[in-house]
Amino acid sequence: MSKSSLDRKFDRIRALEEAGKLKPSSGSRALRKMMSNRLAMVGVIIFLIILLSAIFAPLLTAHDPMKVDLRSMLQTPSMDHIFGTDRTGRDVFARVLYGGRVSILVGLGSALIAAFIGVGIGCYTGYKGGLVDTIALRISEIFMSFPQIILVLLLVSITGQSLMNLIVIFVFSGWGGMYRLSRARMLSLREEEYVQALQSFGVSTFRICYKHVLPNALGPIMVNITLTTAMFILLEAGLSFLGLGVPLSIPTWGNILNVAQDLRVLQNNWWLWLPVGAVISLFVLSVNFIGDGLRDSTDPTMQG
Amino acid sequence: MLTFILRRLLITIPMLVAISFLVYLGLELTPGDAVSHMINPEVANSISPEQLAEMREALGLNKSFFERFSIWLFNVVQGNFGHSLSGGVAISTIVLDRLPATLELSIFALLFSTVIGCSLGVISALKRGSPTDSALTVIGMLGVSIPEFFFGLVAILIFALNLGWLPAGGRLLPGYDSFFDRLPHIILPGIVLSLMMTAGVMRYSRSAMLDSLSREFIRTARSKGLPEWRINLIHGFRVALTPVVVLIGFRLPTLIGGSVVIESVFQWPGVGSELIDAVRGSDYPLVMMIALLSVFAVLLASLIVDILTALIDPRVRLG
Repeated sequence: MSKSSLDRKFDRIRALEEAGKLKPSSGSRALRKMMSNRLAMVGVIIFLIILLSAIFAPLLTAHDPMKVDLRSMLQTPSMDHIFGTDRTGRDVFARVLYGGRVSILVGLGSALIAAFIGVGIGCYTGYKGGLVDTIALRISEIFMSFPQIILVLLLVSITGQSLMNLIVIFVFSGWGGMYRLSRARMLSLREEEYVQALQSFGVSTFRICYKHVLPNALGPIMVNITLTTAMFILLEAGLSFLGLGVPLSIPTWGNILNVAQDLRVLQNNWWLWLPVGAVISLFVLSVNFIGDGLRDSTDPTMQG
Repeated sequence: MLTFILRRLLITIPMLVAISFLVYLGLELTPGDAVSHMINPEVANSISPEQLAEMREALGLNKSFFERFSIWLFNVVQGNFGHSLSGGVAISTIVLDRLPATLELSIFALLFSTVIGCSLGVISALKRGSPTDSALTVIGMLGVSIPEFFFGLVAILIFALNLGWLPAGGRLLPGYDSFFDRLPHIILPGIVLSLMMTAGVMRYSRSAMLDSLSREFIRTARSKGLPEWRINLIHGFRVALTPVVVLIGFRLPTLIGGSVVIESVFQWPGVGSELIDAVRGSDYPLVMMIALLSVFAVLLASLIVDILTALIDPRVRLG
């Protein structure tokens, strides 16, 4: 009887093992799986390129994103101005780089703060249960029954436009999802035996929640942070495009696109909006690839 | 079944009251009250404080907060939403005027994204691992990553400005109101609005279909000697459809949200573009009421989805 190919493979591995040639696998299993996911690695590379070029913007361009130069209005892309210049002669490439700083700050920053608040509340109330849990759940339901952009527009109209307001508003509209997720994870994790063991040792509730149980819920939370970041970046771009997001004086990806509301600009000055739109799409795409990769590597039920 | 619906309503109604309360609180916190909006700024100096107090008294503005809230809530329930600050038109008139356009767009997008999303998802699942599957997966990823308004701009540039096949915006030319006159106007905004949702439906129906195809009854169907298309479509797809229908119901907030931006890009005269104008013009009552109505729509949709799933799946209504 001939051995199946799988058996032969096992034999080879066993032989290697006995000869002591098999290296012990280093790093976490999730990390290794992530590294072997091609799309996720493409995502990480694009993400890092865009993030680093926004952070090191002064090294990549000599132009000032705010400097008006009326002698060089609406120039097409050239060696000096890679993405051309806008209606007041500002360098579009510099504006995209510096704008990236604000857009990424708003997207990633709001997602992280929302996660911090949502997970902080969800973990504790999910573990404790009872009245606190019911109250927190009802409050999150109220926030989540608004379509997100409408809640954001409502709060923008009350508080007025500023960078800080926008981040606070995004956190307000985004913490609910994080809360729900961490609460749901907590409800199932708190029934585990190690939690009962910790309780019987008299470990404090806070320690059990945040030190012992939370690390086991981090996988889906990290996936959700990436997806929320992508959503916030799209939301900021959309709002600023309509002139209702970050004040127009600050360059952001959405604010650069704002000029494309004018059909003449749309038709005649493609360099004012096409490169920025492509950068936003690429960035969000990379974040989504990373999120998908994270999900595949941390959640064993999502194979295939 | 009746008890299930009643129980579900008992959860929804307090939610609605709580949200109305928050919206009313927002209205109270915004600058100015009814009297200050009624008075023409040019004559404001000639009105004595006594007269102002009298006007507030007449309008019931000096009643307690909760009294005012209950009067307002009573009015809202009766369909009296108050008046817009610009022009003083009744908000219910504005919304009724704008709603058909928004519904038209949303229904188009809903139908389009469901049909296209489901078909692509099923094709993707049937050809799992093939180049077609990978290509569709990447396209789906692109669909959720490109900002909708950016996609809209590119579509306007190509199909309206350069090729001139379709109009760039608006809903109706004056004097033309037959179906075929309307159709060209809705194609671009409708397809752009459904883009993101199509991608979502596609990814979801792919995994639902894969799940359904791995079940025992598929093997049974195959062992009966049924043709392959019958196994896939009649047996596999039907079971995969239920979670997809639920997803579509819960996607309604996304659809409402998306239509706000898309309506503005295409100057579609719906509720969404009205909302943007109201936010720009600080027309607080109008903003609040549109927000409240959108919440109402979302809660109603989730109620309907819950009832539908309970009808289909007895485990839900007993659980």
